[in-house]
Amino acid sequence: MTSLVQLPPLAGRGSLRIRLLAGTLFWIATSIAVAAWGLSSLFRQHVATQFHAELKTHLDQLTAHLTVDAQGQPKLALALSDPRFSLPYSGLYWQIDDLAAAGSTEAAAAAGTAVARVATGRLRSRSLWDAVLAVPPDAPADGEIHSHRVAGPAATMLGMAERVVRFNEPLDEQLDHRPDGPPRSFRLIVAADERLLVEPVASFNGALWLALGVLGVGLLIAALVQVLIGLAPLRKLRTALGRVRNGAAQRLEGEFPAEIMPLVDEFNTVLAQNAEVVERARTQAGNLAHALKTPLSVLANAAAGNDEALARLVVGQVDTAKRQVDYHLARAQVAAAVRVPGARTPLQPVLEGLLRTMRRLHAARPLELVLHPLAESLTFRGEQHDLQEMLGNLLDNACKWASSRVAVAAHLDRGRLMICVDDDGQGIAAGDRDAVLRRGVRADQQVPGTGLGLSIVDDLAQLYGGELTLAASPLGGLRVLLQLPAAGGAAGEQGPG
Amino acid sequence: MRILIVEDEPLLQTQLADSLRAAGYAVDTASNGVDALHLGDSDSYDAVVLDLGLPQIDGITVLRKWRTAGRAMPVLILTARDGWHEKVSGIDAGADDYLTKPFHMEELLARLRALIRRAGGHASAELVCGPLTVDTRNSRATVNGQALTLTSHEYRVLAYLMHHREQVISRTDLVEHIYAQDFDRDSNTVEVFIARLRKKLPPGLIETVRGLGYRLTAPG
Repeated sequence: MTSLVQLPPLAGRGSLRIRLLAGTLFWIATSIAVAAWGLSSLFRQHVATQFHAELKTHLDQLTAHLTVDAQGQPKLALALSDPRFSLPYSGLYWQIDDLAAAGSTEAAAAAGTAVARVATGRLRSRSLWDAVLAVPPDAPADGEIHSHRVAGPAATMLGMAERVVRFNEPLDEQLDHRPDGPPRSFRLIVAADERLLVEPVASFNGALWLALGVLGVGLLIAALVQVLIGLAPLRKLRTALGRVRNGAAQRLEGEFPAEIMPLVDEFNTVLAQNAEVVERARTQAGNLAHALKTPLSVLANAAAGNDEALARLVVGQVDTAKRQVDYHLARAQVAAAVRVPGARTPLQPVLEGLLRTMRRLHAARPLELVLHPLAESLTFRGEQHDLQEMLGNLLDNACKWASSRVAVAAHLDRGRLMICVDDDGQGIAAGDRDAVLRRGVRADQQVPGTGLGLSIVDDLAQLYGGELTLAASPLGGLRVLLQLPAAGGAAGEQGPG
Repeated sequence: MRILIVEDEPLLQTQLADSLRAAGYAVDTASNGVDALHLGDSDSYDAVVLDLGLPQIDGITVLRKWRTAGRAMPVLILTARDGWHEKVSGIDAGADDYLTKPFHMEELLARLRALIRRAGGHASAELVCGPLTVDTRNSRATVNGQALTLTSHEYRVLAYLMHHREQVISRTDLVEHIYAQDFDRDSNTVEVFIARLRKKLPPGLIETVRGLGYRLTAPG
């Protein structure tokens, strides 16, 4: 019975549990992967936009603060507000290149192309210290901002924004005296360490994976719980079926969900039909008996008392026919006794009824019939008719053989019903006991009966997985020990003795 | 001794009735449950042979109704159904014995005799009253070992008195138990039978109790 409470193994080809869990697991994994990818991309995009917006803000500020002094040298009217520009290698840098440094001392040696006249790093943020940003050659049109990636100081990679500013006219009073000087162009560069771009994304991704991981585990546990709760009625169904098989119940009992209830109802219908078929088979066997035995009685009575050869033949053949009918009817009863699932029969009322009957049927002889007290819970796992047939034959035999006393006792032994019938007759010699169980053998032809009794009991007992054994009785006669399956619920209890 | 046979198979009914009459009983027959119920309820029988599979009302129901109405006569069930659950329900319905078909007529007769005897409180098949002995097994009466020659009606009267010896039996009782239902009853013939029996028996064995009836009693 332990298998009823054990959880079934999760493995197995046909497992509903595995199917449901595998499906759920697939969808949880897919949606978490898609969510991770989507959120991570969105955030990376957002960080990049921020990064570039910041660079542009700094560039705008740089542009606004740029002036040209009396010597035509660029200079900043005000320091840029972000303190990182003052901190060496802080990761935030600016640089102003002089694109047309004509007349300037550094560019004087160079001649020809505009590029050749570029003076890089004319003005740089303090944070760049002595480094100069090596900017790829580019010439953004007026008002355009271009972005590049460049190598920065201390082996960093920088993201940068640049624009070109031209001074065509003097910008302030101080330049008034040089109104026709050559136009000046400066390339303004603001750069920031790309780690500013990568680090937030990395830490966001870390947090994201953690959160999604927790979510995934949570969903998985929820799915597991759901599957267990959802499939719980199936376990209950199995328990109910076990009870029917044990004989603890006649039908599937309990409330089941609407999806399972039709199955339960159908099964109960099948159980009921099964019992009906067995009952009908019995009735038909009984009807056949009635139909055959009455004409046999008439024949036998007509021939009795007549000494002609024909009459003697009829009497003999009727006797043979009666034995055949008894034998085959008894077998038909045994065959019809297909164990109806869930059948259970309390032992005590059956024994009491049979003893009442025996007292009447054997009233001509002064027999003492003793029933030792039984545990009330003793219950046979099977049909009442079959139990009556087995015990009836045993008791009738004992009463026929006993000289004065028949005793019946029963107890439970390791889940088996042990019924013991003793008589104080002459018993059966050990060597003959096997023969008595065989068809039609009578140990003593003096005692009326067909001799089928014990062999039918043996057949019925075997059909129920029981056993019939003969032994010497302490009363002096025969002890018949009938072992039968007990109905569930009584298992484990100990009867008297 | 008067017996009711309830059996729906006509041939078997005839055989039973013939055998029982030959054994010295007065016999009535019924072939369905309604008749059986009526007969058993209105007439006094010393025993009933009852088949279970009957038209209209089944044998078990008939038996139950008799017992509920207080009819206590011995009933022997004679049926083809030999399952123990049928025997138990038959006995629990009030039957006194159960015999399954096919049967030997001798066994039926022996069981009937035993039933009637036990109903009268007698253990032995030989009823003894003083010098008179009646062997119910072969319907013979002897006085001091000398066999008496009796007609069947004389035997019935004597057997009935022997089963109820030391009791006062009214003439009506005697009439009811020695004649079958369809017999032309005349209570005067009872007096004729008693007179003939007195001639064949030692004097004083059959007393006349004035206004009540007769009593069989051992002299002394």
